[in-house]
Amino acid sequence: MLNTQNILIDFKNISKTYGNNLVLDELNLSIKENEFLTLLGPSGCGKTTTLRILGGFEKPDQGQVIFDGKDITSLPPNKRNLNTVFQKYALFTHMTIAENIAFGLKISGKSKTYIDDKIKYALKLVNLDGFEDRQADSLSGGQQQRIAIARAIVNEPKVLLLDEPLGALDLKLRQDMSYELIRLKNELGITFIYVTHDQEEALTMSDTIVVMNQGYIQQMGTPEDIYNEPQNAFVADFIGESNILPAIMIEDKLVEILGARFACVDIGFGKNKPVDVVIRPEDIDLVKPEEGTIQGRVTHLIFKGVHYEMEVMANGYEWLVHSTDMVEVGQEVGIHVDPYDIQIMNKPESEDEEAVGINE
Amino acid sequence: MRNTFRKIYLALILILLYAPIATLIVLSFNSSKTRSKWGGFTGKWYISLFQDTSIMNALYTTLIIAFVSALVATIIGTAASIGINTMQARSRTFFMTVTNIPMLNADIVTGISLMLLFIACRFTLGFSTILLAHITFNIPYVILSVMPKLKQTNKSTYEAALDLGASPVYAFMKVVFPDILPGVLSGFLLAFTMSLDDFIITHFTKGPGVDTLSTKIYSEVRKGIKPEMYALSTLLFVSVLLLMLLINMSPKDTKTAKHKVFNKAMIFGRVIPVSMILIIVSGGIFYHVESGQSGSEQVVVYNWGEYIDPDVIDIFEEETGIHVVYEEFETNEIMYPKIQSGAIAYDVVCPSDYMIQRMIENNLLAKIDFDNVPNIANIDPDYLEQSTSFDPTNEYSVPYCFGTVGILYNKTMVSDPVDSWDILWNEKYNDNILMQDSVRDAFAVALKRNGASLNSTDVSELQKAMNDLIKEKPLVQAYVIDQVRDKMIGNEAALGVIYSGEAIYTQQENPDLEYVIPKEGSNVWIDSWVIPKNAENKENAEAFINFLCRGDIALKNFEYITYSTPNKAARELIEDESIRNSSIAFPTAEDLKDCETYRFLGDDVDSYYNELWNKVKAS
Repeated sequence: MLNTQNILIDFKNISKTYGNNLVLDELNLSIKENEFLTLLGPSGCGKTTTLRILGGFEKPDQGQVIFDGKDITSLPPNKRNLNTVFQKYALFTHMTIAENIAFGLKISGKSKTYIDDKIKYALKLVNLDGFEDRQADSLSGGQQQRIAIARAIVNEPKVLLLDEPLGALDLKLRQDMSYELIRLKNELGITFIYVTHDQEEALTMSDTIVVMNQGYIQQMGTPEDIYNEPQNAFVADFIGESNILPAIMIEDKLVEILGARFACVDIGFGKNKPVDVVIRPEDIDLVKPEEGTIQGRVTHLIFKGVHYEMEVMANGYEWLVHSTDMVEVGQEVGIHVDPYDIQIMNKPESEDEEAVGINE
Repeated sequence: MRNTFRKIYLALILILLYAPIATLIVLSFNSSKTRSKWGGFTGKWYISLFQDTSIMNALYTTLIIAFVSALVATIIGTAASIGINTMQARSRTFFMTVTNIPMLNADIVTGISLMLLFIACRFTLGFSTILLAHITFNIPYVILSVMPKLKQTNKSTYEAALDLGASPVYAFMKVVFPDILPGVLSGFLLAFTMSLDDFIITHFTKGPGVDTLSTKIYSEVRKGIKPEMYALSTLLFVSVLLLMLLINMSPKDTKTAKHKVFNKAMIFGRVIPVSMILIIVSGGIFYHVESGQSGSEQVVVYNWGEYIDPDVIDIFEEETGIHVVYEEFETNEIMYPKIQSGAIAYDVVCPSDYMIQRMIENNLLAKIDFDNVPNIANIDPDYLEQSTSFDPTNEYSVPYCFGTVGILYNKTMVSDPVDSWDILWNEKYNDNILMQDSVRDAFAVALKRNGASLNSTDVSELQKAMNDLIKEKPLVQAYVIDQVRDKMIGNEAALGVIYSGEAIYTQQENPDLEYVIPKEGSNVWIDSWVIPKNAENKENAEAFINFLCRGDIALKNFEYITYSTPNKAARELIEDESIRNSSIAFPTAEDLKDCETYRFLGDDVDSYYNELWNKVKAS
């Protein structure tokens, strides 16, 4: 799956502890050139620490960071050819916008005309032409974030690190900015490494998503992979809404869920093996009771705009169902799931994985 | 109704708070020298203030110390704040508490502990120790005003600067420092104000010849209040007030972050010019003080206040090229511990008889090399003889001034002959008698009256003296010290126990007054020059003593101090015959037959005297 020829950044066995708190445990991660890679996970999962180690703000307790073939593990931040966009913008409030953007360029000793051109170009890129002489704190949050991005990209870094850059913005602005970021990424043609706890942002923007929890990489793949084929209960639960149920793999392509047998497409789990299954709410078809694999009764109904959200009590479990067709509360229904919509996962084996917990 | 009440209440509080200062300011513009009379508006005290070089020197010293100590404390304090800020919450709280304690600590405790530390480290007390002390007590104020600013700053701006290629130092100077600058500035101003304001700590850590405005005011006021001091105090108050206004203004601006441009203008428009002026002023001043202390040859003199003609010092410096560092003390008891501690290497000191005895006993004095003091021949042998009571071999001291304690009486108010202490027990003069408010002087009167020694350690003699004093008490108008002089001149009392030196002065003011040494005898006191063991310029000290023993110089001092001089040559030079032959100024050996000097009686006897004296006062 990975194209080893274009690998730009390599984390090798990175571990990091704060006090007694293990934040990263032997992390290995390769990042390709020109990739939009998102580190996704709940707070405390180690995603920000990973980013800070790459930025040079933290030193790992062990392991190496390879950047463009060179070991940069102990290189200070100001010597690294990458730039960061911080969560709270971190603009220099006592400087004008132009001074903010010129900060890095002045340090690297660029000429005045070069700097002026770059400022113009960067402001245009972030759609804030003419803001040169404004003060940083006279701007709105979204504008400040764009300036922070402009300030970072004028230095032409090979990699742009973004630490929850949209976290402080409101919903509408967040959505607009995600499209902006995709556009920027395509125009600049550089690697973006993006940290967020928002799965929607991750799914929208990324080429690759790395789902992290408790210092481990839980799953790495394209947004489609992550969404459709979560490899464990944590990923399934964290990405989108899911029905996660204990089940027994009777044999290849046959699984018993809550006493009922469902056809599936998975093989190689062995016989009569306990597993977890993930069924997305939109993959459940409500049919006439006699046509369903199991039968139940609708207990809740909420209109969500695009679809209806329903809960169906069947075989002692409340199934979450999304459907464009409405079924009244109290009605008897049958539940049907197509075999390829059932995702089978191994039960967690190690204690660490157990601790991942479904109840986030 | 309620509002009016509130306003009145507020006005009352303000009046209470500011009435004293208002009085001071008004008096500083009063052309009359007395406090009770308004003589019209004048600025002359301010003018003469700025013409007084010793005050201007104190001002210079104050400004340099305030500026340098505030600057150094700001640098150290800011660095410390940054360090503390990066600590974990727990140690941060701990260190904040630790740095706050010195601010809450009593100044006097800080002052004494610093003095003890300097002495322990063998630092010579002087300009540098004041500076060190001020830096020390200023640091917490800087931390206090920088810390909140540091907490407010977004930590990631520093990281953002590093990220953009800045070195840590560049990132700090360009990004963090501008953010905390208002805090650093107000810390500096606060430190400057605190330094300007400080008296107690300076008082304990200063050495001879160095004065800040506050210690200068203190020592001047001790001698009697001069209107210039009102002017100086007014100026000090006004400058502190201005500084406080400046401090309170700067942090407020930064809170209204929206008017950042305005705020920037404030900093550049006001604070920086003020600092610039301070730098320039202090720079010039530094040069001034430096040049003022030129010359390697010096002698450090420690003397009573107003106890030498200032011209004499000038003449000495001119003739010998030796620079005189002059320091004053108020009482023997204040002088003694300073000599004992060895913190300041005084070269020549002028204690009283009993204190000289104590210093000899405690091995604090050096023997004077009389080969360097040929003018000792001018000293009347009678007084050298008297001196043997405290300096048995005449090796440690050279008499400077002396006097007796006697009765001053008003001839128009006293009809009986005054020749005995008994008259102070005469009920005819009820409420017309003034006694000295000091334990030894009071007991000397009672002991001598009974024919006992004024250094008596005999319990029954002392008990009797106490009972006599209690008996006398209803007749006494007041127990006072300096006011005997003024009250007698003003005909407010008929009889008073007084020092002979003051008696001469009172006679000039009020010819009705007469001074008598009672026939039972009295106290004769002698103040003599001695050289402490740790003197660094012993030969200069001997040259100074020799100079003071010169007839013409001793005469100048006699005319200035008006206390009796033991110098024969000086007496012969006195033109005014009435003074030359005055029995007050120059009592005969016969007059002094039964007079004694005080001796140090030991701590136990001392406290016994005090105990009895307290009983008298309480009766």
